Amino acid sequence: MSEAKENKKPLYRFVRTPFARSTGASLISILIGILCGFLIMLICASFANADPGEGFALLLAGPFSSKRYAASQFGTMLFYTGPLILTGLSVAVAYKTGLFNIGAPGQFLMGTLGSLLVALSINTTGNRGLGILVWLLAILVGIVLGILWALIPGALKAFFGINEVITCIMTNWIAANIVTWVFSARPDLMNTGAGKTGYLIQPSVTGNYTPTLGLDRLFHSGTYNSYLDMGLILAVLLAVLMWFILNKTTLGYSMKACGYNKEAARYAGMKHRFYIMVAMGIAGGLAALAGSLYYLNPNIELQWQSVYQELPSYGFDGIPAAFLANCNPIGVIFAALFIRYLSASGTFLQKAGYNKYFADLIIAVIVYLSGFARFFRERIERTQGIRDKLGVSYFGYIGWKCKRFGAKFQGCFSSKKQKEETTVTKPSDSQSEEGGKK
Amino acid sequence: MEQEDIVIEMSHITKDFPGIRANDDVTLQLRRGEIHALLGENGAGKSTLMSILFGMYQPDSGTIYKDGEPVTILSPNDATDLGIGMVHQHFKLVECFSLLDNIILGAEDSRLGFVTKKKGREKVNALMDRYGLHVDLDKKVSDVSVGIQQRTEILKMLYRDNEILIFDEPTAVLTPQEIEDLMQTMRSLAKEGKSILFISHKLNEIMEVADRCTVLRKGKCIGTVATKDTNIEELAEMMVGRNVSFTVAKEEAKPGKTILDVKDLVMRDHHTKKNTINHVSFDVREGEIVALAGIDGNGQNELVQGIAGLMPIESGSVIINGVNVTRRSIHERIKLGMSYIPEDRHKHGLVLDFNLEEDFVLQTAKDKQFAKHGIIKKKDRRDYANELIEGYDVRSGQGSVTIARSMSGGNQQKAIVARELDRPHCLLIACQPTRGLDVGAIEDIHKKIIHDRDKGTAVFLVSFELDEIMNLADRIYVIHGGELVGELDPKKTNIKEIGLYMAGAKRDDRKGNQQ
Ligand SMILES: Nc1ncnc2c1ncn2[C@@H]1O[C@H](COP(=O)(O)OP(=O)(O)OP(=O)(O)O)[C@@H](O)[C@H]1O
Ligand SMILES: [Mg+2]
Repeated sequence: MSEAKENKKPLYRFVRTPFARSTGASLISILIGILCGFLIMLICASFANADPGEGFALLLAGPFSSKRYAASQFGTMLFYTGPLILTGLSVAVAYKTGLFNIGAPGQFLMGTLGSLLVALSINTTGNRGLGILVWLLAILVGIVLGILWALIPGALKAFFGINEVITCIMTNWIAANIVTWVFSARPDLMNTGAGKTGYLIQPSVTGNYTPTLGLDRLFHSGTYNSYLDMGLILAVLLAVLMWFILNKTTLGYSMKACGYNKEAARYAGMKHRFYIMVAMGIAGGLAALAGSLYYLNPNIELQWQSVYQELPSYGFDGIPAAFLANCNPIGVIFAALFIRYLSASGTFLQKAGYNKYFADLIIAVIVYLSGFARFFRERIERTQGIRDKLGVSYFGYIGWKCKRFGAKFQGCFSSKKQKEETTVTKPSDSQSEEGGKK
Repeated sequence: MEQEDIVIEMSHITKDFPGIRANDDVTLQLRRGEIHALLGENGAGKSTLMSILFGMYQPDSGTIYKDGEPVTILSPNDATDLGIGMVHQHFKLVECFSLLDNIILGAEDSRLGFVTKKKGREKVNALMDRYGLHVDLDKKVSDVSVGIQQRTEILKMLYRDNEILIFDEPTAVLTPQEIEDLMQTMRSLAKEGKSILFISHKLNEIMEVADRCTVLRKGKCIGTVATKDTNIEELAEMMVGRNVSFTVAKEEAKPGKTILDVKDLVMRDHHTKKNTINHVSFDVREGEIVALAGIDGNGQNELVQGIAGLMPIESGSVIINGVNVTRRSIHERIKLGMSYIPEDRHKHGLVLDFNLEEDFVLQTAKDKQFAKHGIIKKKDRRDYANELIEGYDVRSGQGSVTIARSMSGGNQQKAIVARELDRPHCLLIACQPTRGLDVGAIEDIHKKIIHDRDKGTAVFLVSFELDEIMNLADRIYVIHGGELVGELDPKKTNIKEIGLYMAGAKRDDRKGNQQ
């Protein structure tokens, strides 16, 4: 008979802890995602003139794809990570309160709008001190605009029960049109340089850009500096702050209560409308800050003319960053880093004959699979349970599983008629023998 | 067929959860056509054992035999294939589906991928006639009472032609009449050759309907007895390990000033445009227990939720401790000293994904005791949780950090009662406070409620258990069709008379009722 083995090996026990199970599940999703990505690369290679081996290597090398520019590429990757952390946090915090903030792109745009209007309208070249003050003001205006923008779906949800997903999508497009419309009325902010159409000037022109704290030079390749500025530090600090709020404060406690069980929160006298508004406000502020920090970098310029045609991917990328991290604010830092690492290879993939958006595609696959993390966790749990019970090794388990499947398959054909007449079916006979033998 | 009548044998089953051994070498034999009761304290491992049989958990060791053959049940689908069906302690119906859809869900006929319901409906209709289990198949789950939901669950099992039926605390949520019907159904099912496993904390039910009874204590099997060879006291002692008294001694009530005053209350259901509560007036004073008796669905839930602020009030007023709270928020009512044990522990009572220490401070998280400048005082919260766990005997695997969802139903209930009784309050609204508790815990909670009364709390008790009402109440109101039809003195009345009022066969013309 199958008795559970009293196995005291530390590894045996470790792989059965919840932490190992859920981390394992996340890793499995990522691995399968990468494998699927490779498969797609292979398939595409057959009709594009591409080299899948090199492509895959480039993808895995991320920012290190280019040996010459590795350091600056790495720094720039870190810069791109900052705003992604913020939009990821935006989605995660809202989700903990039971809200699906798909409005991050719109909030991101409103942050961009507010910040750029301030930063580009006031010229402080030559006076860095004043420049930093204006930069701060620009950030604040952006955040406030983002908060107000997010409060529109927030209020509709809180007071009229309108689903935030629908209103968020609508506010996204409204924001995109507002941005184009506002900047089209400001020809004084246009970059009229050669070969540029539809671009705004860079914040470095007016002197109101994000302090780099020398980080750009820290990661440099020759004379080529990276884009890195203090935005990343701000983002990481905010992630820690969000973690603190969610786990250590009564505000976070109440927000989570409303998210997990709205009825119980109401029963306990919590003002769930208020917390919906607070959560949307925080989410809006974070997403807006992402937009502000991204476009206040001295090297980035906004292509304002086409904004109304396409929502910024940063806003949407926040969703996978949040869910890959299971909505844990600290986890979001690493999820964002991971995503940016893969996409850093972007343009280099062209070397292997692939489109530069290929990295995004593979990230999409991984993210898609991250949704299955929970499913994998349950599989791991069950497999371990069955293996313990049968007392077999992993391969023994696979064999057992195949036999069982075979028996089921046969049962489907042989007992179909029987099923109709004698309602009590026993397609399990063959499998019960299996269990007994062990 | 040497052991002719054993359908299911669960042999030496052991199951560990983090921090607790839920089943410890348990052996149970189910004979064909018998009703087999499973008895044990809250957290003794009854639901776990049945979930193992139903394939929801895998035992760490032990074997299950069906008709003498060892079987492996890896999922509820396997269980269904073996003819095993289960009605869970907390129902698993899809709220927004019709009853018919719920019954045939997962076993539906389909043609070209489209579900064809006609055959299913015929079969369900036949089953309803055969067992006298009638429900309106086209209603949605959210629109029917728990009694009907349970019938739906039973029909679901019968529809799948299950021959082994597991009932996890089926009677905890039913009214006496519904319980009577269920007993009848179970008997006729057993007569048809179905074998029934039945978990209950109500000893008289077990004595009445079961053939044999297996008792669990702290995960271990204490023994199996035939009900005809035993009595209620013996069963109680087997299960708790001590003598249990079924009535609690209490002194004469000394009512003081009025705490809860309900005046001419009217509540309306805006879908059906009918009054669910019709001109109801009553009061509860400090130091007394006022009970509300009635058959489920006569407005108890609405009345209580109206008083607690969860449902809107059409007209009339609710006054708590001298303050008219009719239009005030729930938060203000709580601040005025309202404690409330809700009828639905999963919907209102607990945030299931919180752990115990978080759930214990649901209303008080922001109080000075547990937070400073908005930052949670973790240690104080934990100490408080441990105090409640100790004081109310809340059993779980990991103490104060146990996730509420993983706790046994009875222990979830104890946690809510602990929170509501321990919080400073002058009014206690208790809806089915002992639902799902074992006899030992019921005795304990009854004592605590009486103690609370003696400290000067006004207690408003809503219960379907007339025994509980007779035991605790100082005054009894009976509700029927949303109106109070009688005010009774428990010393001068009996269960039979209350029953007449409840059924609407008798009514006093009280001032508040008419016009
Ligand atoms: N999924 C789970 N994870 C962790 N612990 C669990 C889980 N399910 C049950 N337990 C623990 O196992 C013990 C037995 O629980 P079980 O639900 O079987 O009790 P029970 O006998 O049905 O009690 P009740 O009468 O209160 O329903 C409890 O202490 C509970 O905390
Ligand atoms: Mg149970």
